[in-house]
Amino acid sequence: MTSGAALSKLRPPAPKSSLIVPAGVLGALALTIWAASDQFGIGFDPIAILADIGRGSEILGEVFRPNFAFFPRTIQPMIETIQMAIIASTIGCAIALPAAFLASRVTAPGRLSLVATRSVLNVVRALPDLLYAMVFVVALSIGPLPGILALIFFNIGVAAKLLSETVDAVDRGPLEAASAAGAAHVEVVRTSVLPQVLPNYVAYSLYVFELNIRASTVIGIVGAGGIGNVLNEQIGFFNFSNVGLVILELFLLVFAIELVSIALRRRLT
Amino acid sequence: MTASAALATLRPNAPSHAKRNLAILVAAAIVSWAFLTVDVRLDRLIDLPRQLGRMFGFMFLPPDWSYVEIAAPAMVASIQMAWIGTLIGAILSLPLGFFGAKNISSGPVSNVVRVLLNAIRAFPEIVLAIVVFVPIAGLGPVGGALAIGVHSIGTLGKLTAEAIESVDRGPIEAVRATGARSLQVQRWGVLPQVLPEIIAFWLYRFEINLRAAAVLGIVGAGGIGAVLSNTLAYRRFDKAGMAIIVVVLATIAVDYISGTIRRRIIEGTGAKRIVGDDLEQPELAESPT
Amino acid sequence: MIRFENASVVYSGGVHALHDLTLEIADGEMMVIVGLSGAGKSTLIRTINGLVPLTSGDVTIDDRSVSKARGRELREIRSRIGMIFQTFNLVSRTTVLNNVLMGRLHATPTWRSLIGRYRDEDVEIAMQALERVDIVDKAYVRASNLSGGQQQRVGIARALAQQPKILLADEPVASLDPPTSHVVMRDLQRINRELGITTIVNLHFLDLAKVYGDRIIGLRGGQLVYDGNARDADEGVFRDIYGRSLTADDVLEAVPAA
Repeated sequence: MTSGAALSKLRPPAPKSSLIVPAGVLGALALTIWAASDQFGIGFDPIAILADIGRGSEILGEVFRPNFAFFPRTIQPMIETIQMAIIASTIGCAIALPAAFLASRVTAPGRLSLVATRSVLNVVRALPDLLYAMVFVVALSIGPLPGILALIFFNIGVAAKLLSETVDAVDRGPLEAASAAGAAHVEVVRTSVLPQVLPNYVAYSLYVFELNIRASTVIGIVGAGGIGNVLNEQIGFFNFSNVGLVILELFLLVFAIELVSIALRRRLT
Repeated sequence: MTASAALATLRPNAPSHAKRNLAILVAAAIVSWAFLTVDVRLDRLIDLPRQLGRMFGFMFLPPDWSYVEIAAPAMVASIQMAWIGTLIGAILSLPLGFFGAKNISSGPVSNVVRVLLNAIRAFPEIVLAIVVFVPIAGLGPVGGALAIGVHSIGTLGKLTAEAIESVDRGPIEAVRATGARSLQVQRWGVLPQVLPEIIAFWLYRFEINLRAAAVLGIVGAGGIGAVLSNTLAYRRFDKAGMAIIVVVLATIAVDYISGTIRRRIIEGTGAKRIVGDDLEQPELAESPT
Repeated sequence: MIRFENASVVYSGGVHALHDLTLEIADGEMMVIVGLSGAGKSTLIRTINGLVPLTSGDVTIDDRSVSKARGRELREIRSRIGMIFQTFNLVSRTTVLNNVLMGRLHATPTWRSLIGRYRDEDVEIAMQALERVDIVDKAYVRASNLSGGQQQRVGIARALAQQPKILLADEPVASLDPPTSHVVMRDLQRINRELGITTIVNLHFLDLAKVYGDRIIGLRGGQLVYDGNARDADEGVFRDIYGRSLTADDVLEAVPAA
């Protein structure tokens, strides 16, 4: 076309490289140094830790040699854990479904309910399950009831948020069609939104169930029932091989649930 | 109409949903079993709302506002604990994620790594903290950070491996075709595709770890958990209420910041937000009736 | 009778989608609207069932105002107007029959629709609608397993299940191949003639407009620029409506199946 000199005039100038990434990395680094420092932070000293690692490995060694003779003592608490997880998942996910519809801008009947529901859900989600368990144990005394209640609150927080994000992303076309046919708001949600999110809903419910199984180990530590009680007890007695057995049982249980969950999800989609 | 049309008007039979109904029946049976056999006394259940109401009143009507002087620094310690823990988990999970991905490392290696990651995930942080890290690091947030870190390696490793496995083969092939070495293929073919997603996982994990850090204080890791445990044990409910408020505010704030950064990272990679493409015109204003 | 009186629609941002439109559509007419993208076709059609509110002026159906209707009254009006869409708007995850039954929602008590148990009469109406478009054998098939043409026929069945007096079609064939487009347009024409349903269709394929419409109106920049018989519309007329010479994209260019 033209001479080389004219062509090189057409080259665009190199853009100034964005400052965002280096700034982000620097920020993270500063945050880390501050968090790890002795004066302002938690006093994290990797070298001292490595020196002490010996103490931990002894205990770990015992944990990895589970004491199978302890199994009968774990049956009833395990069953209680499973019961708690089932009940809490059922109630929690049942409440989470309408809550998610209220919290999504696609299906919320009005701005007020949208904002109110989202705020409540944000607060409910902000508290960890163990905290709910601690409070409920103090309010209701020990046993599975505070544990179930704690898990229900925890479940609603997790499931409603996941579900409302799925609802936000549905295909709006069928909603328009239902509105055009004269359907009321609830009917539009029932016929056009629910079928689209149902597979996700089942997947989230199973996920929540799995979380509950994991969580019930922990809430037992504060007396809220389930296998956590046993765990806490055995740790207190320094019977680490019994602890190892309990952890093994939990691992297998969670593994089994994951298998079922994957199989179910495949059937549904 | 024609004869073939007459055939087409033969209505089909409604399909039977036997399998589905059976599954629902089984599920209902399991759920009913759980409800009926759990060890909860009915009279306690009836008393539930009143007890909860009382507790709510003790804690929040009103909370001990001055207690924020103690609760806030403790919350900061928990945030730091969560940050360090997440960092440990992130850094160590990245190589493990690569090793655990079936499309990057060989079959047996990736299987071993995945089982290892699942094993780590099986340990709740709190157990790790009690059993291993508090004995090592003594009482305080360091043990908590380590427990969180090690547990995070499991979850983050699994998510990283899955993200890497779902990567588009095309760019990898292209880099390999230039004669690049294996590590370079990872760096330029795989990493650019998964890095945004992985960083999003890290941030999400930080949000979750913050909650874990808040409770690890109960078993000796300090932070806001210790404050909560103490105030509840000594029945100082108004102070406990203040501590809870601090937790809620801090968690919501961290969630919001982390969530915003996550969204910017995911959207910035060119994943276009798909707006409903029904019309030529901008968004219709349909008032819900 | 559908009547537009000085109807205007202005979107936030100042876009004049419809400008002072005055128009009458008689019962039983088959009217085609043509115009470029952005000319206001989709907006116009959506003002008839109130999916788009008017900024000024009025739209009435049999002297009942659509633009002023709210809530239950608006839903009542919509229940007598069937609508089909360019992207079909079916619920992909569920069966064809469930999609068509959405047309009976207005007539069904809410509790029934929530649990998904429609009345026998309504299922019968849905089945008949499917028979009319010749796709009843697919009644229990998942909607996403159908081809584009079949999905659009399900969309038509859904609209028919409402037993509507008016049928609105927003670019019903834009996503379909030429032979299928003719099948769908022929179905719409047949329904218009056999059932006497007022049919209003947006098209951007001019040959289809000429073949299947009785009356053609042209929109440009939100204003009515042509109103006449399909017979009298020739290339010159379309050029005026479009404001430019015609291209291959404006014509479907397939020979209709015998």
